[in-house]
Amino acid sequence: MTMKKAIGIVVAAIAVVALGFSGCLFLGRDPMSFAGGSTVALAAYQGVDITGVPAQLASADLVKRGEYLTHAADCQACHTAPGGAPFAGGFAFNMPFGTIYSTNITPDKQTGIGNYTDAQFLAAVHKGIRADGEKLYPAMPYSSYTYMTDADALAIKAYLFTLAPVHAPARQDQLSWPFSQRSLLAIWNVVFNPDERFRPNTGQSPQWNRGAYLAEAMGHCGECHTPRNLAYAPDNHGKFAGAPTAGWRAYNITGDKDSGIGNWSDQDLFSYLSTGHANGHGGAAGPMGEAADDSLSYLVPDDTHALVAYLRSIPSHASDLPRTVKTAAPASYKEGVAAESNSRGEKIFAGACASCHDWTGVSPVTDYATLTGVRAVNDPSATNVAQTVINGVNRKTVEGTIFMPAFGEGYSDDDIAAVANYVTARFGAKGANLTGKDVADLRKQAAQQSKETPNG
Amino acid sequence: MLTLTINGLSHDVDVPEDMPLLWVLRDHLNLVGTKYGCGIAQCGVCTVHVGGKPVRSCQLTIGDVGTRAVVTIEGIGSTPNGAKVQQAWMEAAVPQCGYCQAGQIMSATALLDSNPQPDDSDIDAAMAGNICRCGTYIRIRRAIKNAAAKSA
Repeated sequence: MTMKKAIGIVVAAIAVVALGFSGCLFLGRDPMSFAGGSTVALAAYQGVDITGVPAQLASADLVKRGEYLTHAADCQACHTAPGGAPFAGGFAFNMPFGTIYSTNITPDKQTGIGNYTDAQFLAAVHKGIRADGEKLYPAMPYSSYTYMTDADALAIKAYLFTLAPVHAPARQDQLSWPFSQRSLLAIWNVVFNPDERFRPNTGQSPQWNRGAYLAEAMGHCGECHTPRNLAYAPDNHGKFAGAPTAGWRAYNITGDKDSGIGNWSDQDLFSYLSTGHANGHGGAAGPMGEAADDSLSYLVPDDTHALVAYLRSIPSHASDLPRTVKTAAPASYKEGVAAESNSRGEKIFAGACASCHDWTGVSPVTDYATLTGVRAVNDPSATNVAQTVINGVNRKTVEGTIFMPAFGEGYSDDDIAAVANYVTARFGAKGANLTGKDVADLRKQAAQQSKETPNG
Repeated sequence: MLTLTINGLSHDVDVPEDMPLLWVLRDHLNLVGTKYGCGIAQCGVCTVHVGGKPVRSCQLTIGDVGTRAVVTIEGIGSTPNGAKVQQAWMEAAVPQCGYCQAGQIMSATALLDSNPQPDDSDIDAAMAGNICRCGTYIRIRRAIKNAAAKSA
């Protein structure tokens, strides 16, 4: 090796360490450090149990407890491809640098996790390391799951091992260099994965601590709702301030009154988390619809209340969203903000949308279809409006099926842009300016959204 | 057991709350004038009035009807505008195959209820969600105008 090369390597190593260190200081940040106060190891925490299952399930068997925790950690949403077997993987994450696929976590011995030991399972959940020693991409939210207790992770494993094994080989990732180099994740992990278990905050209530455990170690809310830094790790300086995810926008869930949830009542939040819908605020669709139906709706009321308490403590962070318009549009299509301004969007709305959403935006059919007061309609990017038009809504909830047809196959990109612009102008704070090309991009980013089918 | 007011009469029905109103009308109350078309609120054939508004009954669950009065094609002739619309429909011989016409008449009547003298663009906006495969749109528009011109 020449001297020059050696110096080069040393300089590179120093640069990497410096980058990592500054990353720690300026980019990475403990997701719960905003609360201040002091934390203790879980074993030293005096008080009620804040990990594990709620009291109702305390005496249930290991598998039953694991099932609850699997829902709480929402493993299913990402480990299931649209229309595929639950937990058999194959769900695509479309990112700027390529596409990766979730893997099969059914207990199939060849293609799933059937051969995983407890230690190997914990390494995957806490450290992002597969049984063969290879590193997982952080699309697997191990930097959140790392806060999960061993007992809870192993309860999840026990539940997963009761599932029917599905033979489903992993799909080949398509990543550009250098992102295709898994070994480089070692650096990412040093900087961004704290690799420590949940530490209760002694200055906060047991309810807050339970909420923190559910939101951070289990539900990993920040993986979608916290903006990412250049290294694609959640930047907790803007914790829960909203971010784009899978072609949708995960909205600001801090206490900011205009752009966040500061104007939502506790009951609104409880209702939204437990059913994916709150009167006057609309319903969840897309990835949040999945989170509601696969995960949050399974939580017992005490746990949902704990999540609400925790959310209420997040520092307010204003984002670029305007205040939500709460008043209905006029009954006549001839009046209102969007009158005459966009005849193509208006025509499409008249034929395809008005029968359920009404010209006022207040649905005569169901509150789930009311547009007045809905964040997505008041988002001038119209991202989620366009995605909802493209993909429709087909949620199975305890209250029945929530359905809106998917218009993506029948309408052109220009049509969808026109109707999204019309809807945001007529019912929201500010009309969008989507183009057909924008809609084409949104379709690509959310290529994994399932195609909805009509009733029955 | 749920109680519905349909065409002025009270009906008790024993069905799940998430059953669409259309199923209740056709399969449980034998009110089969209202038709099933697309099943996703995109054709307008199942339109009924609920609380005075035109609603696609294939998407409205019975639990969401609440206490609002329901009027179907069987009862619309008893309302002033419904009678005028039906008369105008016969005079203009609007239907061809007829399948969509119950929904067309319900939407047209709701339009006159809220706007007694609609112009062409009002008719377009109100009727755009009611599709007719036979293409009777020209006669529909004429019949609505004729109905609007009739004295009560």
